[in-house]
Amino acid sequence: MTPLLEARELVRRYSMRRGMLGRPVEVRAVNGVTLRLEAGRTLGLVGESGCGKSTTGRMVLGLEAPDEGDVQFEGAPMPPPGSLPWRRQRARMQMVYQDPLGALDRRLPIGVQVAEPLQIHGLPADATRVHALLRQVGLRPDQAERYPHELSGGQRQRAVLARALATDPVLLVCDEPISALDVSIQAQVMNLLVELQQQRGIALLFISHDLRAVRQMSHRVAVMYLGRIVEEGEPDAVLHDPAHPYAQALVSAIPDPTRRGNRIVLQGDPPNPAARPSGCAFHPRCPLAVSLCARQAPALKPRPGDGRLVACHVAQGEAAPMRKAA
Amino acid sequence: MSDTTIETATATAPARRRAGMPLAIILALGWIGLVLFVALAADWINPYAFTAMDLRNRLAAPVFMGGSWSHPLGTDELGRDVLSRLIVSIRMSLLIAFGATLISAALGVALGFLAAHFRGLAEQAVMALVDFQAAMPFLILALAVLAFFGNSLALFICLLGLNGWERYARIARGLAISAGAQGYAAAVQQLGASPWRVYGRHVLPNIASTLIVSMTLAFPEIILLESGLSFLGLGVQPPGTSLGNMVGYGREYLTRAPWILLAPSVVIVLTTLAVSMLGDWLRDRLDPTLR
Amino acid sequence: MLRFLGTRLARALLTLVLVVTFAFVVLRLSGDPALLIMSADAPPEAIAAFRRAWGLDDPLWVQYLRYFGAILHGDLGQSMRDGRGAIELVAERVPATLALTLPALLIKIGLGIPAGVYAALHRNSWIDRGVMFLAVAGFTVPSFVLGLLLVLLFAVQLGWLPSGGQESWRHAVLPVITLGMGGAAVLARFTRSAMLEVLGQPYMRTALAKGVPWHVAVRRHALPNAAIPTVTIVGFMVGSLLAGAVVVESVFSWPGVGRLLVVAVSNRDLAVVQCILLLVAATMVTANLVVDLLYGVLDPRLRISAGRT
Repeated sequence: MTPLLEARELVRRYSMRRGMLGRPVEVRAVNGVTLRLEAGRTLGLVGESGCGKSTTGRMVLGLEAPDEGDVQFEGAPMPPPGSLPWRRQRARMQMVYQDPLGALDRRLPIGVQVAEPLQIHGLPADATRVHALLRQVGLRPDQAERYPHELSGGQRQRAVLARALATDPVLLVCDEPISALDVSIQAQVMNLLVELQQQRGIALLFISHDLRAVRQMSHRVAVMYLGRIVEEGEPDAVLHDPAHPYAQALVSAIPDPTRRGNRIVLQGDPPNPAARPSGCAFHPRCPLAVSLCARQAPALKPRPGDGRLVACHVAQGEAAPMRKAA
Repeated sequence: MSDTTIETATATAPARRRAGMPLAIILALGWIGLVLFVALAADWINPYAFTAMDLRNRLAAPVFMGGSWSHPLGTDELGRDVLSRLIVSIRMSLLIAFGATLISAALGVALGFLAAHFRGLAEQAVMALVDFQAAMPFLILALAVLAFFGNSLALFICLLGLNGWERYARIARGLAISAGAQGYAAAVQQLGASPWRVYGRHVLPNIASTLIVSMTLAFPEIILLESGLSFLGLGVQPPGTSLGNMVGYGREYLTRAPWILLAPSVVIVLTTLAVSMLGDWLRDRLDPTLR
Repeated sequence: MLRFLGTRLARALLTLVLVVTFAFVVLRLSGDPALLIMSADAPPEAIAAFRRAWGLDDPLWVQYLRYFGAILHGDLGQSMRDGRGAIELVAERVPATLALTLPALLIKIGLGIPAGVYAALHRNSWIDRGVMFLAVAGFTVPSFVLGLLLVLLFAVQLGWLPSGGQESWRHAVLPVITLGMGGAAVLARFTRSAMLEVLGQPYMRTALAKGVPWHVAVRRHALPNAAIPTVTIVGFMVGSLLAGAVVVESVFSWPGVGRLLVVAVSNRDLAVVQCILLLVAATMVTANLVVDLLYGVLDPRLRISAGRT
């Protein structure tokens, strides 16, 4: 069966000039990302800010065209952004944003904005339909008259969700949908997402820097570092037994009262996509790096033994681990 | 200043703001209302036809200089009633200023949106035009166009409509880009909306208050430009008349009949003053970012 | 810095090219120059000869290139009315205009900037209110009204000064005051708001909190920062030295470039209009270039950010 969404070897480059005499530097925000998503499933994409996860999300949605690689949605390639087929396709795929207040037009009441995708795609946009959508995301129908600034952060995110669900999409890309919310509200919104997925069979691409949120939401997890996926697998497996040193560091950074000591603190500078290290991009900060890592970029492939997808020479057993003195 | 005074100041400020407008603004609005009424009702309130000559009453003095009530503001060198000419001139000058302001705002917003939507080369081209327009004194450009094309009312309004479009273009482009970067405009576009819907239904209403403030600030400028060109004899052509025209012709009789020139001068000054005070006030209230 | 200079120069040249193109396009759009200049009932042979003489039969792009080439050689054509060179005609008017605009510029700067700074430093005092009232009045009273009022008062009523002409320095007093007052008002208003903005900045509060005396903080931090936007306006005023007196020259029948322009426009003497247009563009662009360079001196950040974008 063809997956709902398949992205192959996506590359996205930006050019950036540094300093007044600088030549334009090519920045690879995304550098060869491959992922697939089946209908009704959730793929969690996790990594630090600047690792290219949001850009990946935008390319998967077709908001930006990749410089290399391709995206297949329901077995067909993405139409160019802004074209008529692209606009029609928006009804099938939607996005949920980090900042719901920014994503809503503060001049229009919520109800009008929820009805907007229905009007755009020529669907009946009567009040009962809008009220049903609002109820589905846990808002009251009378809140249709409210303006965005009259709602709380969680309610706004629910309104954004109602707007995204209006056209009954099969794919929802959630870009850090909970990170701007209070912790108490985060759980509610995540539960709502899971509930809606179960009811409607929507596929989710859940982008977050929060490993625990990703685990709670996802059927599969992909860890990104500097524009590449470095590890991919079942959430529980990746969280309990991370194979890539970067994933290990991420997992160990989760506060856990039952665990003592052995917290991996990463060395070196935070990643800078404009100055990508040679070989494995993680090697300057990696506690296990060997000389091979600086020369050759490891491929994402199944690990011998349990078949976990990981891009690391050491984890693959191609090089002997070498502990640096701390 | 102590903390308590700051607190009371911030606490009372909103209340005071809501309580009402400053007296100056009320007066300005009153004057603008009067001028608008005169312009709209010109045909009904005119005591004489503005071209009607009364050759026995040439250069008659206005009431306050010892004249009679038959011509309250006096007459000009052909015995035409100054009040009637003033009323028609107000209508003409306002018509030109409104038309030109609307043209310039529409042009600027359209080009600004174009630049924001297409980026790349289109944006570069628009910004080069903006630089060009901002770098040239508009009066000179206007004079050049008038020299080449001659004059007609429609052309004259369109020409003045080219004044200041670059300011609207800058504002519209900047706000549209920031709305598109991660805001509501990108979200609506992502819903599958056409550019018409994105810009017409969402971006334009959101930047409308900024645009209205800019238009209010630009309006007096257009009045001054129109009256300046008409004063030079290069704007509204006779038998049509405008405020600048009246000053220009009245200038010949500066020593013998200063009222011909004083009446339109006072109207120009009061109108520009009222509108720019209103503009400043609106800016401070609606859009403090616009400076 | 070199790169900064380079981009600014390129921009300046682009503006000039745009002005030339503008002149050419407008010239061509305005109709057949042959029919404009010759009367409509001129014999066809004469019109044809005229067209050949002015190269109007060539393709448009050839005309455009030739037009450009001629301008590069300093050939701006002859006045279509009296046959003298356009440049010559304009050049002999320049000193008269500068005799008005230079003293007026001194008044603008010497009166406007101190008034604006003083008003900002004494915000809401009665002097501030007075300055602001005069500034708004200066903006809303058009120069021809102000000029005529001055004539009415000083020439007609009091008889102290002549009302027009260019015989002695006394003739220049009223036009210079008319020009200077309006500009000073604009500059005062602008300087005041630039100063107020700077005075509200966190670095001013920081400096004062550190114990830097008020007058030192104003001199060291506020004035240089407020100078940056003010320089733009002054630059525009310098750039319009040649063309800023169109209306005032007409009011006082002062034989400068502005009067020449108005007369040329009413006579549709295209070569002269064009020549003035280019001259004004060139001064404006040069002034803007100098302003940009001054920015670089006043604000080191701009040098860097200009290169970065």
